Amino acid sequence: MTATTKTSHKYSAKSILESFGIGIALLLLIVFFSVTTEHFLSSNNITNILSQVTINLILAIGMTFVILIGGIDLSVGSVMAFAAVVAGKAISMEGFGPAELITVAIIAGLAAGFVCGLLNGVISAYWALPSFIVTLGMLNIARGAALHITDARTIYSFPYAFEEFGSLLFYGIPVVFLVALALVFIAWVVLTRTVFGRILYAIGNNEEAVRLAGHRVFRYKVAAYTICGLTAGIAAIVYMARLNISSPIAGIGFELNAIAGVIIGGTSLSGGRGSIIGTLLGVFIIGVLANGLILLGLSDFMRQMITGVVIIVAVILDHYRAKYAS
Amino acid sequence: MATTILECAGLKKYFGGVKALDGVSFNLAKGEVHALVGENGAGKSTLIKTLSGAFAWDEGTVSLKGKPYSPTDPREAKDKGLQVVHQEFNLLEHLSVAENICIEAMPRRAFGFLDRAEMARRARAALDAIGLTDVDVSTRVETLGIAHRQLIEIARALQSKSDILILDEPTATLTDREKERLFAIVESIQEQGVTVVFVTHHLDEVFRICNRVTVFRNGKTIITENIAESSPERVVQHMIGASLDSSVDESRNHPTFGELALRVENLVHVQNPHGEGVSFELRYGETLGIAGLVGAGRTEILRSLFGVNEIVSGDIQLDGKSVRFRDPSESIAAGIGFVTEDRKDEGLVIDMSIAANVSLASMKKVNRAGFMDFSAEQRNTQQRAGQLKLKYGHFNDAASSLSGGNQQKVVLAKWLESGPKILLLDEPTRGVDVGAKAEIYSIIRSLAVEQGMAILVVSSETPELMTLCDRIAVLANHRITGILDRPDFSESAILQYAYGQDPNARQQA
Amino acid sequence: MKIQHTIKYIALGVALGFGTAQADDKPVVGLIMKSLANEFFQNMLEGAEAHAEERGDYELKAVGMQNETDFESQINAVENFITQGVDAIVVAPADSRAMVRPLKKAAAAGITVINFDVALDADAKKQQDFELAFVGPDNRGGAKMAGDALAKALGEGGKVVIVEGNPGADNATERRLGFEDSIAEYKLELLDSRTAHWETEEANSVFSTMLTAHPEIQGVMAANDSMAVGVVKALEAAGRDDILVVGFDNINAVGPMIADGRMLATVDQFGTAMAANAIDQALEVVAGGAPLEGWVKTPIELVTQ
Repeated sequence: MTATTKTSHKYSAKSILESFGIGIALLLLIVFFSVTTEHFLSSNNITNILSQVTINLILAIGMTFVILIGGIDLSVGSVMAFAAVVAGKAISMEGFGPAELITVAIIAGLAAGFVCGLLNGVISAYWALPSFIVTLGMLNIARGAALHITDARTIYSFPYAFEEFGSLLFYGIPVVFLVALALVFIAWVVLTRTVFGRILYAIGNNEEAVRLAGHRVFRYKVAAYTICGLTAGIAAIVYMARLNISSPIAGIGFELNAIAGVIIGGTSLSGGRGSIIGTLLGVFIIGVLANGLILLGLSDFMRQMITGVVIIVAVILDHYRAKYAS
Repeated sequence: MATTILECAGLKKYFGGVKALDGVSFNLAKGEVHALVGENGAGKSTLIKTLSGAFAWDEGTVSLKGKPYSPTDPREAKDKGLQVVHQEFNLLEHLSVAENICIEAMPRRAFGFLDRAEMARRARAALDAIGLTDVDVSTRVETLGIAHRQLIEIARALQSKSDILILDEPTATLTDREKERLFAIVESIQEQGVTVVFVTHHLDEVFRICNRVTVFRNGKTIITENIAESSPERVVQHMIGASLDSSVDESRNHPTFGELALRVENLVHVQNPHGEGVSFELRYGETLGIAGLVGAGRTEILRSLFGVNEIVSGDIQLDGKSVRFRDPSESIAAGIGFVTEDRKDEGLVIDMSIAANVSLASMKKVNRAGFMDFSAEQRNTQQRAGQLKLKYGHFNDAASSLSGGNQQKVVLAKWLESGPKILLLDEPTRGVDVGAKAEIYSIIRSLAVEQGMAILVVSSETPELMTLCDRIAVLANHRITGILDRPDFSESAILQYAYGQDPNARQQA
Repeated sequence: MKIQHTIKYIALGVALGFGTAQADDKPVVGLIMKSLANEFFQNMLEGAEAHAEERGDYELKAVGMQNETDFESQINAVENFITQGVDAIVVAPADSRAMVRPLKKAAAAGITVINFDVALDADAKKQQDFELAFVGPDNRGGAKMAGDALAKALGEGGKVVIVEGNPGADNATERRLGFEDSIAEYKLELLDSRTAHWETEEANSVFSTMLTAHPEIQGVMAANDSMAVGVVKALEAAGRDDILVVGFDNINAVGPMIADGRMLATVDQFGTAMAANAIDQALEVVAGGAPLEGWVKTPIELVTQ
């Protein structure tokens, strides 16, 4: 059957090209900034970029799960702030040793993110509501809760070991970035090597077919949102360790950066298509762009415009990818 | 007879290799009500679409009022006086009746402002013209019932000067009283000199209001008869044709089956308007067909057995035990597989790989502590591909890369992987070419005969059911009107049951 | 305490919504603030509440906003206060132009209007023929105090960068101008000036990149302390203890940083007392005192080690 064989080669070549395309775009950006600016490739700046992308990368990992099943989570920035102040309250308790405080704070922060994500998933999946609206509600709930808990005040002064962790370097690589990279690896394994990941992709493609094949779609959807909430919790802990504060107004607008990273990385907003490697590259494109344009000395306003253009170009490319695929 | 207004001669239309129209010739007289009848897929819808300008025909000629007629788009057809009221309504639900009626040419005042008074006046006139005086033109369409919406469609179609009005299945969703009203309106339109073309499955309506009837079969017009000189039995006879009845394979007349697999008693699901429901039995090794017209409730039976559609009442026994599935996961666990009607929407995850589709309903077999066992998946897919003679490039290719027949085999492979005892098939060969069709038939036969599977198959193609099945239950309007054993199979009997007639009562006709 | 707080706000909101004024002979003061998600206004609100309790001779009705740019709800609050016939409106405008018209309406209704925190736009006032005094700190002057402290420590020719607030926000603009005044006066060299939208994490990212581009930076002027905290963390990460940082607002978190030298200075504009001061001024006018004129400056203070 030569006809099918031919299309098959085209198909696999195309899917490789998709990730390659993003990688090449990133490479071009890096080459461009290396040539046009003095410091871009300096080891200090590379360390900077890695720590600058860390939080967005962690949020984008969770966002990838949600977008893959055809949803969206607008609440991650607020949930991160909420988780951070919950953890901040926990870590400021009196009468405990630093090790206990750090442990409790991490657990509390992750639990806060987990619960917000679980609620997002249960509410949107059970009543079949648009995730856009449900997570917009959660955005306000989590932000309000964060402000309420703290009376809008920043929490500071954490145990020394915790504050130190955020700025630790391992051969010039921020340890928090390595944490994010480990999460990327775990997410990659889950999405490409597990039955769970397979079903998530299938739900994004054709939810009804998956349901008729006997899978409890509800549970998978809830799981995807919960993972997204959990990564917001992890991002909160990293935020605290890096900046040594818990601010209830942290992370405003971070959800949009995370979504942009996922979409630039080639994951389709309608679900079912995309990869965590693409997300990694997409987040780096945003991070490198932000960093390089400052080094170039471009004004803030130009910087904002160029970032906007990149997002739109990415979505246009996605449109052609989708057309090409069908 | 009055003058001929439209004349079709030798119309042909091909879609790829499929002959949708294969020689359609008939004429319409001015001021008559003319019925078009025929089985599903006989070519009526295609004819309407070509006449209304939705697409062009490949061969043949049409003349309208003595002049050659070949519309390039629906607008041109309308301008020349040919209007169609489609089966699916084209009304904008959130707008008013007046806005809907005037949507094609909104009355305007200076500077493009909408002339609301004129709009209301025109709408009022259009409604009055068909005697619909009890509907307020400012009512929003969504608040009206189905029947009124239908009549508003007709009013809209008639407000511009029409010579021919085509009504496609206008009574499908109407109650008896609403039908009477429609018939009265059709009569009054006829008196105004408009030709009405009436496409329907219901022969009683044909004989009630039509002057002539043209019968379609396999894309051809068989005959046009005056109603006064015809009878419902004769029309059904024309629809079936005589020659096909002999195609039954006599050797399968006395098969032996296994234990009782499924007993369905008085099954009533949410879409079923009647209280009594349907009852039937199915044995292992047996293939039971469900015939009936579109909308008779065939698919809904399969969906409610599988736990997709909600069951209102009735009893389902699987291996002698009462069961009631609330979710496909339960029915699959109990050994039921469901090859759905719509490959792209329900059957396949079309952009994912062939292998992923094959294992979708049986992930347990490729699950190693939560991780995918890709080599097991490849082995299983390979085995099914061999069994089903699947033609493919590579297992990692997307299912969308396959032809229709091979896509259908992937759906079958998916369900065979889940190891079912009972297989539900809904239109198993729709959109499949002839060669693949024969292969799928032999696969289904061997599943029943060699593996002892109990098979329930729904199809709109009567010959398909006659080939595959040991018995055929015929459904009309959510009721089983007859169950035929293999020796009694005939297209005419099935069709008559499907039209609610009793074939035994017309032996002498 | 917090719950009580919330309940009080809900109750107030309801009361405002229905426009029911309580029958009481004490003068009623309507306090309109900006975003209560901002620590600064949160402090201010608590200061005002404590003040009302302490004086006991007036009734306080306070409203805040959803966020920094939600001036629509401020306009609504003014209109509600007019309907209720309060005696004085004390307002921190979210938009120095948009608020002119509603406040003019309030003044015309015989209500004593006091503008504090951010001054209404002079041109807009002139255009609408509306005279209104301003009671508040000099953001520009305050920023210059911080800038001057930095300049004196660095000496002439010192190389500095500015981390700005939200572009377009009045106080962000004033503070940037104040920093620029110091730069001009002490002949400092301005290497770069960028916004971090008042945000810690963004200030951290933006500043660490500025530091890469300009390793010779000697001083940083941050338009608020939240951003100063992000700058300090970036300096720690880069291992640079030779760069001086000044901020603005004197939030709690910078206390330890000034104490141990990670920050040189910040500016305190006594937000807690600011609303209370403005209310005192309003009550004086209500009681028959002379109307205010021009700019009544409130205290600001440089906070150093």
